[in-house]
Amino acid sequence: MKVREMKIFLGVGVLIISMALATPLVAQVRSCAVVGTVTDAQGAVLPNAKLSVHNLDTGESTSAQTDSAGNYKVEKLTPGAYEVSIAADGLATRVIAVTLTGETPQKVNATLSALQSKPRSAVQGTPQAQTPNAQLPDAPASQRTEPSLGDLGITPEQEKGSAAQQALLDKRTHMLKVHQRLGLITTLPLIATVIASADAGGKSTSSTGRNVHMVLGSTTATMYFTTAYFAIRAPKISGTETRGPIRLHKALAWVHGPGMILTPILGAMAYSQRNNGEKVHGIASAHGAVAGVTAAAYGAAILSVSLKF
Amino acid sequence: MKARILLALLVLALPRIAMAADGSWVLQQSTVTYHVSHKLHEVDGVSRAARGKGVCHEGQCDFLIAVAVKSFDSGDSNRDLHMLQVTRGAQFPMVTVRTHVAEADSQSANIRADLEVQFAGVTAEYKQVPFQLVRQGSALRLTGIIPATLADFKIEPPTLLTMPVKNEIPIRVDVSWQQQ
Repeated sequence: MKVREMKIFLGVGVLIISMALATPLVAQVRSCAVVGTVTDAQGAVLPNAKLSVHNLDTGESTSAQTDSAGNYKVEKLTPGAYEVSIAADGLATRVIAVTLTGETPQKVNATLSALQSKPRSAVQGTPQAQTPNAQLPDAPASQRTEPSLGDLGITPEQEKGSAAQQALLDKRTHMLKVHQRLGLITTLPLIATVIASADAGGKSTSSTGRNVHMVLGSTTATMYFTTAYFAIRAPKISGTETRGPIRLHKALAWVHGPGMILTPILGAMAYSQRNNGEKVHGIASAHGAVAGVTAAAYGAAILSVSLKF
Repeated sequence: MKARILLALLVLALPRIAMAADGSWVLQQSTVTYHVSHKLHEVDGVSRAARGKGVCHEGQCDFLIAVAVKSFDSGDSNRDLHMLQVTRGAQFPMVTVRTHVAEADSQSANIRADLEVQFAGVTAEYKQVPFQLVRQGSALRLTGIIPATLADFKIEPPTLLTMPVKNEIPIRVDVSWQQQ
């Protein structure tokens, strides 16, 4: 009796810990907003100015654009530290740091000035790196012509970046980070389910052991599919060929994915048979083997991107 | 007599004129490698797509090397995309290195140069970085390691299994220049 009670407590404990670890990753209240007006140095409003609201904690970015009156509004943001980057053609990009806390929209107005003669003025610098070229050590009188990127055959299009592409990469990284962490957390209920399986089948006649195994298995499946969601829905970057260990990681998904669907189905069949006082038979008897292969493939998938082979 | 004096002066001046003559260097071959250390992994990302030019004037040469961030290959496409994101490579596609050295230094086997590196939207300076020079016919092969760190460029350290990589990301440079 005592051993059984301990197993129940263990199962419930794993359940609570798993949910507690997973919840902050997914359940973030998006109640903040940032609003404002973008103008030029003469005070005229700037329609179609591009904005990127970048969360410094999560790496998530949201893009927006000013309307015909130069106004913008970005809603459904989580509380935290942000950088609001505002750009318009022919004007210097402005980056404003802001912290969003409450539900009242934070007002961030911006005035964009004309570009300096050296476009790299938009680049931030470390304190020691603010030295202009003319002040570098051993710099002779500037009669020389320094080579430029154009001299190297690099076109302005190649040199110019894309805030939209960066936002896509940021979103991809954020979702894959959640996928990675949820995937690791899911190993807890997975291992607990495997341990609890010892008391769920075979010669055991106890329904408690089966119920614990069933609850843990359901938790595992729920967290697994949530983990998979973040990987499947992470933005794909066009023109990228899949190379390296990630190929094995993706290939193993074709084993543990179907396995994670089949295992609960076979488990439900086995559960029903045992509850009816029958011995597990037929296809339901494959539940253990399918679960084992699924768990092994899942573990291998984690190792494939964790260790260097 | 005057002609002889003039001729003597000309002969004496010739080496100086040659040294002070304007010239240029073009990057022929390059291998730029960054190194990232993690408790579970040691990663090298390699690019052979750098472009470079050096312009010499009055004994001083200005060099510019540029390499696209997305040209680095670490052997794993997922890791490369993550690297591109964390280094803001879509927003700032190029890494550039500027330096200037005395043309006379091209005769030395070892030199030290001050570098200005622009990467991830941030400019950082590195003082007195040692390089080795080897003459290979008309080409000049230069090798060295730039002691870069993630903090220099305000890059948040990427993580694997919740463990961050080390701050140090030394960049090995192996380039061959051809004088034009």
